[in-house]
Order: sequence, then C-alpha cells, then structure tokens
Amino acid sequence: MSEDLRTTYKGRLLAVKDLPTLPTALQEVSRLLELPNTTTDQVAKVISFDQVLAAKVLKMVNSPIYGFPGRIGTVKHALVLLGFNVIRGLIISTSVYDDMNRAMRGLWDHSVGCSLACGELARALGMKDPEEYAVAGLLHDLGKVVSALQLPEAKARVDGVVKEQDLFYIDAETQVLGFGHDRINAWLAEHWNLPPAIREGMAFHHKPMSARIYPQMACVVHVGNFMARLFEYGSGGDDNVPPLSPHALKLLGMNQRSLEALLDNLCEKFADAGELGFA
Amino acid sequence: MSTRPPGFGDVASAGVPRCWLVTADGCLSATVRALWSGEGGAASGRPMDWRVFDNGRAVLEQFFLDPPDLLLVSATLPDMSGVSLIQLVKGENVYRQVATLLCLDAPGVAGVEWSSIDADDFMVLPAQAAPRTEGDVACAPLPPPLATELRARVDLALTRAGRALDASPLTKLPGNTSIIKYIQGLIDRRVDFALAYADLDNFKAFNDKYGFSRGDEVLMLTARLIATTAREVRGQPAFVGHVGGDDYVFVTPVDEAEDACRRVVGAFDAIVPGFYDAEDRERGAIVAHDRQGQVRSFPLMAVSIAVVCNRPSAGFSLAHYGEASYRASQVKKLAKDRTGSCYVFDRRQT
Repeated sequence: MSEDLRTTYKGRLLAVKDLPTLPTALQEVSRLLELPNTTTDQVAKVISFDQVLAAKVLKMVNSPIYGFPGRIGTVKHALVLLGFNVIRGLIISTSVYDDMNRAMRGLWDHSVGCSLACGELARALGMKDPEEYAVAGLLHDLGKVVSALQLPEAKARVDGVVKEQDLFYIDAETQVLGFGHDRINAWLAEHWNLPPAIREGMAFHHKPMSARIYPQMACVVHVGNFMARLFEYGSGGDDNVPPLSPHALKLLGMNQRSLEALLDNLCEKFADAGELGFA
Repeated sequence: MSTRPPGFGDVASAGVPRCWLVTADGCLSATVRALWSGEGGAASGRPMDWRVFDNGRAVLEQFFLDPPDLLLVSATLPDMSGVSLIQLVKGENVYRQVATLLCLDAPGVAGVEWSSIDADDFMVLPAQAAPRTEGDVACAPLPPPLATELRARVDLALTRAGRALDASPLTKLPGNTSIIKYIQGLIDRRVDFALAYADLDNFKAFNDKYGFSRGDEVLMLTARLIATTAREVRGQPAFVGHVGGDDYVFVTPVDEAEDACRRVVGAFDAIVPGFYDAEDRERGAIVAHDRQGQVRSFPLMAVSIAVVCNRPSAGFSLAHYGEASYRASQVKKLAKDRTGSCYVFDRRQT
C-alpha cells in the first residue's frame, strides 16, 4: 500500500473522539457514582470490565496536563488520581453504541476474557504488578474498536474477507488496510501517552518476540489472548484460535503443566465474571 | 512633592488593600475618591486605602520602596505614558504581584498592542473634556454602570493578583501566603481541624539520578494525590496547599484526618514505583553516591505526614499558625525516624 494511504488512515484513526461504549459498565458506574459511600475500588472493578472506559481514564490521567504522562498503568491508580469529580464528567460525556451493540458485544467479552487471563497468568508467574497485565489484556483489541468506528467501510470489508476466505481477523485487516489492529494499538498507545509496558502488550500480542522493552508483557498478552480464544470467551472477530508461540511460553518459563493449571484456574474466573453480568 | 495627601479613604489600617491612582485627570481622581468613600452611593464592597499621584515620576520612587497592592494608571500622564509606567513596574520580578489596571478612552483601546503589555486589566472611561483640576464642577459624574464596573474590576484585579502569584507554578496549588491566611483564619474563628504536613523521603536521590523534569512528575503526582484525597473527605474544612519543593499541607476535619493519611500513604506507595526505571524498580532502590562520595543505596521514595490538630471544642487551641508549624516540625522528626511511608499525630495534645 502507499505511504499516503497509510498516513490518511492513521490520521483518521487517531482523530477518534468520544469513543462510545456498551451500556452495561457505564450504567453500573453511573449508579455507583450516585451512592454516597462508593469507593474508588468499587468503581475501578467495574471499569476494568470495559475496554473503552478503561482506555478513557488511562488516556486522561496520562495526559500531559496532569504532569506525569506514561506513568499510570492501572485503572485503580488512575481513578485515585483523577478523583470522582473528573470521573463523573467522563461518564456523563460518554455515549453508548446503539445499533452496533450486538456486533460489539463479542469483542467486549473477548477483551474481558483476555484481561482476566492476563491478570491470572501474571499472578501465577509472580509478576509485581498483575493489574497492569490485566489492563494490557483488556486493551489488546482496542484497535479493532477504533477502526470499526473511524473506518466503518474498511470494517465491513474486513468482515467480508474473514467470512469468505476464513482468515484470521488480523490477516484480513492487513489485506484490506495494509496493517492490523496491532499497529493501530501502537499508534493509539503512543498518541495517548499510555505507559510503555502497556503499549508493548497492546502492540506486540501477535508478535511477542518483537517487543523490545517489555517482552514479558507482550508474551503474557499473547498467551492471554490465546486462552480467551480457546475458551471461546466472547469473539475476536473470527472463529479461529490464533497460534501459540512456543518462544513466548519459553520466555515466561511455562510448560504444558503450568499451562494446564492456568486453564483450570481460568475456568472459575470466567464463571465468576459471567455471574457479574459483564460477559 | 506633587502627591496629594495620602489616605483619603480613611482606612489606612492593616489588611486594607493599598491602591494607588496615577492620573493627571482631576475628574478621575474625584470619581475614585467618591466611589470608595461611599459618596457615590456605592458604600458597600470592601474598603481600600487610596492614594493619588498626578505624574509618573512621583510614583516610582515610593513604589520601589513600598509598593501598593494595586496601581490604577491613566494611559496619558504628563511625563510618560501609562503603558511605560506599567512596563517599568511589571518588568521587575519583585513587583510583579502588584495588580495593574490601565485606564483609557474608547479610541485609545484600539491603539494598544495587548500582547506586549503586562497590565492585568483595563478600564474604558469616557474622555473628559477640558477641565483637569480636581474638584472642578465641570466633571461629569461617571455613569452608574461604569462606576460599578470600575469597582468590580479593581476588586477582581486585587483578588486575582493574590491568587495567581501565590499558586505554585508547577502544581497550581495555593502557596505559603494562602496557606498561612487560611490556617490563621480557622484558628481565629475557633474551628476544629487537623493540619497535615506531608513531604517525601529520598526525593533528592531520585531528582539527582533522573533529573528535574522526572522529579517534577513526582511532585505533580503527590500534589494530585493529596488534592483528590482532601477533596473527597467528608465535611469541612478541606484545603490543600503546596509550601514548595516536596512539602505540602492539607487540612481536614479532625475525624477524617487519619483516613485521609492512610489513603495518601497507601496510594503513594502503590503508584510511585512506576516513576522509576525498571531496573531500580526491581531492586527497590537507587544506588548512588551520597554527599560524602560513598556508594549508598536509597530506597524508593516514601511520603511522611505529620498531623497537628486544633480542637477549641475540646479545650485545645493552637495560638497561631506558627505554633501549628512548630509542632508539626517536632512531630515530623518522629515520622522521619521510621522507614517507609507513614503518618504521625501530635499526641501531646491529648
């Protein structure tokens, strides 16, 4: 593809304003914010189930106006620093998908599944900040959401290619746009000053060994994505389970047995999340 | 001396803003005099101590020695332009806190290059005709809407000057003057409150290793953390100030203080590792040379908070702000003896 077209696409993607979300988490946060004794922990828990709301709070707290761009990588920390006043403003100004609701539902569920898997995996591996891994998992397909909104005609073509040729979503994206959602993720994370670890998780979950600074993060999101797909938790846009990189498993020090233990753990996690009504 | 007798506002007491009018226009000085003496029918509003000078030179020497709070200057003066007088004054950092207003007539406004002027505000007044001596009966009184506007602009300029100068340029939180004024106000009104002094341990090591701009990130983080915490505290009083550097104060109701401290400490400890590079974060410390040139390990930054309470309702009152800060500094020593983030209350009060 030509550089010009790529630049045009990039401009349109980064121009995204007022990302809408699905009503579930938004309504729950609104309800919580009206109660007198709500804690940031309660709100953080709900926002951690919605990729768009999570992206919004992280984008805001990492904006230069607050003075520490790229430093805040968990929803809970973001909320503590933004305060209820700003969160309230952010919730009021967020609109809801109407007609696209059903089409987007699968993607939302998939992001929650991947987030749970990443958090669980990071905990099992004894990582210091499992919450950040969960956030990277939650945001790993945000590029798909943004491109559906900003490049709707391309989205229709990608869906068509997936169906006709039985391709992975990312390969269909590359065929139609010349780049995949991983590239869009990298642009967005950079543009929004998200912390480098989260950026690498988002940008390299399909090619974990290409991550330069935080390969562990990229590998965790890679494995997390695989798990969510394996459990068919939500939908990533196609019906295939992506290949699992043996290098990623090796880098994380995982083997068949630890992988199976993780899968068992996740069964419970996913069931719990389902009960919360977010999946 | 070409100055007029000082203090015609009869309010030359402490706490009353000192305002100087520089104009050769007798009608303007008559107007100002009438407005702030109550003759103009606008007796309400805060009193101000007005003094009038009829040329620029007369004002300067006194100004440099003992500047007023506000300067209201006519655009045209006998010996210089009002604009150059304002530039002269505002060009010196020590005088920048003085609020300056430029008075001009409607045609004059168009000719001003606003981007290159340090005036804080301006006021358009109708050009007066020939009579230029004070008390001349030919002075037309200022139309009531303009009189109200002039009062309001002077009032606002004074308030704004105090606000803007005092705030920390980095965090935009109120600075020392506002802090002292606020605390002393609470003490004077015999309000119960807890005053917390927060500062950072090992901030210097961080600043030395990563540089000022990374250091500023941490100062912004701390400010934001304290600000949101104090803001979400139940009830009044609630206040946050930035003394400077890594020193902050916040005020909460006595019953809320411990919870607020716990939240600040908890959040700070959870968030601050993200401000270090991965290697130092893993190690939990910075390795650097100390002031004696020895290699030393400096742990990750921590926040220490010392809390002093004023409780007139329970028979314990601080005498003045100085006592509050003295007690806090004593308590702070206890906090500094501990490692890691912590908060300590002044127990001698109980």
